[in-house]
Amino acid sequence: MLTRRNLLMLGAAAAALGLAAPAVAQDKPFNGVQISVLLEGHPTTDAIQKMLPEFKEKTGIDVAVEVVPEADITAKELLEFSSKSGRYDIVQNNIIYLPGFVKSGYIVPLDEFLAKHKENFDKADFVPGYFNTNVLDGKVYGLPVYGESTFVMYRKDLFEQYGLAAPKTFEDIENAAKTISEKTNKQVAGITMRGQQGIQGVYVWAAYLWGFGGSFFDASGKSALAMPEGIAALDAFTKVLKDYGPVGVANFGWEENRLLFQQGKAAITLDATVNGAYNEDPAVSTVVGKVGYVPVPMKSTSPKGGSSSLAVHSMYVSAESKNQEAAALFAAWATAKEQQLKSIETDPNSGVTSLSALNSDSFGKRYGAFKDGMIAAINAGNPQYLPTVAQANEIINNTGIAVSKALAGTASAADALKEADEANNAALAR
Amino acid sequence: MRPVAAAPDPTKHFFQPIIVCLTVASVALTLFVIWISLHDLSLMRAGSEKFVGLDNYVRFLGDPRAMAALWRTVLFTTLATVIEIALGLAVVLFLDRDFAMKRLVRTLLLVPIIMTPVVVGLTWRFLFDPATGMANYLLSLAGISQVDWLGNPRIALFSVLIADIWQWTPFVILLVMAALESAPTDPLNAARVDGAREWQVTWYVLLPMLRRALAIVALIRAIDSIKAFDLFYIMTRGGPALSTETLNYYGYIVAFTNFDISYALAIAIILTVFTNVALLTMYSVLFPKGGDR
Repeated sequence: MLTRRNLLMLGAAAAALGLAAPAVAQDKPFNGVQISVLLEGHPTTDAIQKMLPEFKEKTGIDVAVEVVPEADITAKELLEFSSKSGRYDIVQNNIIYLPGFVKSGYIVPLDEFLAKHKENFDKADFVPGYFNTNVLDGKVYGLPVYGESTFVMYRKDLFEQYGLAAPKTFEDIENAAKTISEKTNKQVAGITMRGQQGIQGVYVWAAYLWGFGGSFFDASGKSALAMPEGIAALDAFTKVLKDYGPVGVANFGWEENRLLFQQGKAAITLDATVNGAYNEDPAVSTVVGKVGYVPVPMKSTSPKGGSSSLAVHSMYVSAESKNQEAAALFAAWATAKEQQLKSIETDPNSGVTSLSALNSDSFGKRYGAFKDGMIAAINAGNPQYLPTVAQANEIINNTGIAVSKALAGTASAADALKEADEANNAALAR
Repeated sequence: MRPVAAAPDPTKHFFQPIIVCLTVASVALTLFVIWISLHDLSLMRAGSEKFVGLDNYVRFLGDPRAMAALWRTVLFTTLATVIEIALGLAVVLFLDRDFAMKRLVRTLLLVPIIMTPVVVGLTWRFLFDPATGMANYLLSLAGISQVDWLGNPRIALFSVLIADIWQWTPFVILLVMAALESAPTDPLNAARVDGAREWQVTWYVLLPMLRRALAIVALIRAIDSIKAFDLFYIMTRGGPALSTETLNYYGYIVAFTNFDISYALAIAIILTVFTNVALLTMYSVLFPKGGDR
């Protein structure tokens, strides 16, 4: 009869057999192992998929990749995690979810695996700002696939035409937006930014929040948006958009904003560094070579954090994975410098996380126009730019409503932020 | 005395298993949903589930955002249903005559219904684009300045409503048209012979004959409008300033943005109960007992 003890013995015998014939598989300890990977729809994912045959040849590991849009990936991951399905060995997501994943025991630390596979893992080669966001309580939980920051983009030609200097402060931005909007009789919007309710508006407004010396939380961890700094930041943000922004800005997400700017219909925008790649691509842009890139201003003399973002998207290994080491090996390989260098050649990847790739000639050739601005932004990038607590999503949602209300004029900045604080604190208390 | 052996109904072998399966599935799921809604279950806090009784329902009552969303659902459903029925009926009365292109018109009417809501939403988003959209272009021809259709919180809900009306009025037209064509024409002619004016024929004879069809269409449209999600998701995502967040959309946000599963299910149950009560009331008004003229 097949009792539990017999089963255990069978298992032991199988293990012994495995040990008895190791010489063949020495260099490929995971030969035949299958892992399942959930990735975001992104140029880096396209590049990784093209390189999978090399990984299979090198390690013998079969990788099944599933691709989902970034907006839907968190819900999918959480449903799989919470049902302990073990459906994916590796998942990808923004690092703002990392603390929640760790707290819930959904993902595992990688230190032990990485130490075993040093040939694929060179910590010193990662952009430090990107890598460090993956460390919690001294343990490495993720490996950064791509990252970005934010900066100010402005039309050098228009600024020159109207005698304006490159914007260094929020006041410079407002003045320039005013001048260009008035001088062109609103044919060119003075400024455009994302105004859409939700993460879109919050991602950009947070630059103003930190730049004015505000912060999402106070020292005790409570939501503290309705402080004088936060209110001033929201007033300044909505003022430039209402007075000098394009019509319909209240519904602008990343795409609408980017399109308007690269079509030459706006003079200034503050957005993600990846937009540089679109501005400088002659196939989609009418402003190639006309755009200047400068850091997000800092108004406060005692800021609580940097005013440019640090958005990092990493691969994590699921706690339910049966092949954690093979999975970690894949994550290390996919983010190693050799693969990142190749990805620049095959796909429009301006978000490389490897210093070697960032400093390579091919990167400079493609993205030279904004490379310096981007590196400056990353180095000043604030890893706490968006909340990273477990309730981050809900807090961003509430804050987005406040930004949208102030922009639409249905509530004052102070009232809208106070309301957001209350909703945020209720979420934090749950 | 009981009948010894009722004539066996051979169809029961077909419907009984189906009924049993459906009943078990729906009862089990409903009970499971109610059970979860009595807990505190968040996907971001695994392992900390606990029984909280009616807390989620109490929270709903004290949640101004939920109340505002409920009100918007009521407003949207009422307006959509009333306008679609009125418009549909008007078009039916207009089409109720023989003309050369009748078949073609009827085929064209199907187009909005067949289109997937995502395409409808995107199309209307382009039409309503404040800078490059057709809507503002037409207004500019009439000398009216730009309207921020989807960006102005006082207008956005009505912009979505316009898209909904465009998509679903043809549905009303088709159903009412079918009812009209199967209705007898004798009573109409009798009324005309009796000297009734044309509007009296329509109001006193034709409309009462169409009452049942109109009531059914109104119920279907009301149920669909309460559940409306896709147009809101594509066109406004509940914004700006929450002005287009219906209760259904709020439930989605709570579940898939905040991952507060138990509260989201409580909202879903409240919406279900609310819908049932509202529709049963509507049904009893439209089909009063014994009154079947």
